[in-house]
Amino acid sequence: MNKHFQGIIMSKLGIVSYGSYIPKYRISIEEIAKVWDDDPNEIISQLQVFSKSVPGPDEDVATMSVEAARNTISRWKGNPQDIGAIYVGSESHPYAVKPTATIVAAAIDAEKELTAADLEFACKAGTAGMQMCFGLVKSEMIKFGLAIGSDDSQAKPRDPLEYTAGAGSAAFLIGKERVVAELEGTYSITTDTPDFWRREGAVFPSHGNRFTGQPAYFQHTVDASKGLMEKLGTKPSDYNHVTFHQPNTKFPLTVAKMLGFTAEQIDNSLICKNIGNAYSASSMLGLAHILNNSNSGDRIFMTSYGSGAGSDAFSFSITDEIEELKSYPLTVEYYVNNKEEINYGKYSRYKGILRC
Amino acid sequence: MEPPKIWRERRGKYLVLGILCQDCKKKSFPITQYCPHCSSENIAELKLAQTGKILHFTRVSQTAEELMFYAPYIIGLVELDDGIKVTGQITDTKLEDLTEGMKVRMVFRTLSKNGEEGLIGYGFKFVLI
Repeated sequence: MNKHFQGIIMSKLGIVSYGSYIPKYRISIEEIAKVWDDDPNEIISQLQVFSKSVPGPDEDVATMSVEAARNTISRWKGNPQDIGAIYVGSESHPYAVKPTATIVAAAIDAEKELTAADLEFACKAGTAGMQMCFGLVKSEMIKFGLAIGSDDSQAKPRDPLEYTAGAGSAAFLIGKERVVAELEGTYSITTDTPDFWRREGAVFPSHGNRFTGQPAYFQHTVDASKGLMEKLGTKPSDYNHVTFHQPNTKFPLTVAKMLGFTAEQIDNSLICKNIGNAYSASSMLGLAHILNNSNSGDRIFMTSYGSGAGSDAFSFSITDEIEELKSYPLTVEYYVNNKEEINYGKYSRYKGILRC
Repeated sequence: MEPPKIWRERRGKYLVLGILCQDCKKKSFPITQYCPHCSSENIAELKLAQTGKILHFTRVSQTAEELMFYAPYIIGLVELDDGIKVTGQITDTKLEDLTEGMKVRMVFRTLSKNGEEGLIGYGFKFVLI
């Protein structure tokens, strides 16, 4: 067995519950383009994104993580004191030193017998946390682990990133009891690829423009996806749904086609067109949305991508337990539709670009 | 806000805990060492209802320096579904969109920021359902 391959999983191990959160505010592509005299139709055509989510002035990665975690716990109806690990993946933690995960632990009443840490791997830190939880649960070091991907992503004004850098949070509770999505296997690709970065103390990230595409996003996503399917002996047509990292809508649609997935298989995951790129939460929000639209027996494929660079691929099989969790009201769909448009001035104030 | 205050108040502010007096059986908020109704020390922690209705509300424009980033903001008196009355900010909304009696639920938000380098205060606010 390859040293990086954590499948085939023999005992029932997987996702026990899930939760999401997306801020209420939206700014449209047209509104941003108006400020910079860009052609909105050209940008929408290129990115296939119409608006992006914007956190309110009293929101940050900690508050969004807590909301997603609380939705996960409420949907599960279990005891948060049974959670033995909390990992929060983000590239926009409110503190450089002071873990977000500790705030989440206190806010869901999971203190204090647990391990916790903040993770950073660009847009795949949340799925790295899922793998850590799978490992800890499988080895019976903990009973349940909570992995969160959450970001209030930064973008320099007028940078192309400004059109898509959104916000959101998704959480997955990993365990062995009442599993709704059984893990069939997980597999990762990691290389030193400098496609996107933010130096210590810098306010905004920098990127390699078109270099973020072929050698970065596409190469890693394809390699991790093909690698896992090869190990499991599966093919794209074996899956009902697939989700990839969504820096825009065009990239996941393109990589799905490259791998042989159809538009129908990826359709349920594509929330980027309404909320933009939620960074660490991006592929995880896609998975949360798929879970709420899946049925017992469905198979789900997910591959995240984090700049720097790496991809984590997962294969899940849905169990009968999913039906009980689908009626929880605060779904990805609820948050996508619960929205209020703001103008560029208010956006600048809420994002801290404009200060008094 | 100083570190000991954030640390001491976190359970009450994060989890919205009050007390249930084991002698007079009355509920109250926030957590105190004594029952405010009968002064008994025989009290237990009580997790309050997460939803309620707005009784009164107003807009705050002038406030403490650590809150000016959020101003103007709306503060309201909310009667929770378990009967306890709680004061808190009503966020993600505008004054003209509110009326008394509207249903709200609790959310987790930042309450204060001590400059660019100080601690961030977290706790509950309300949003419309």
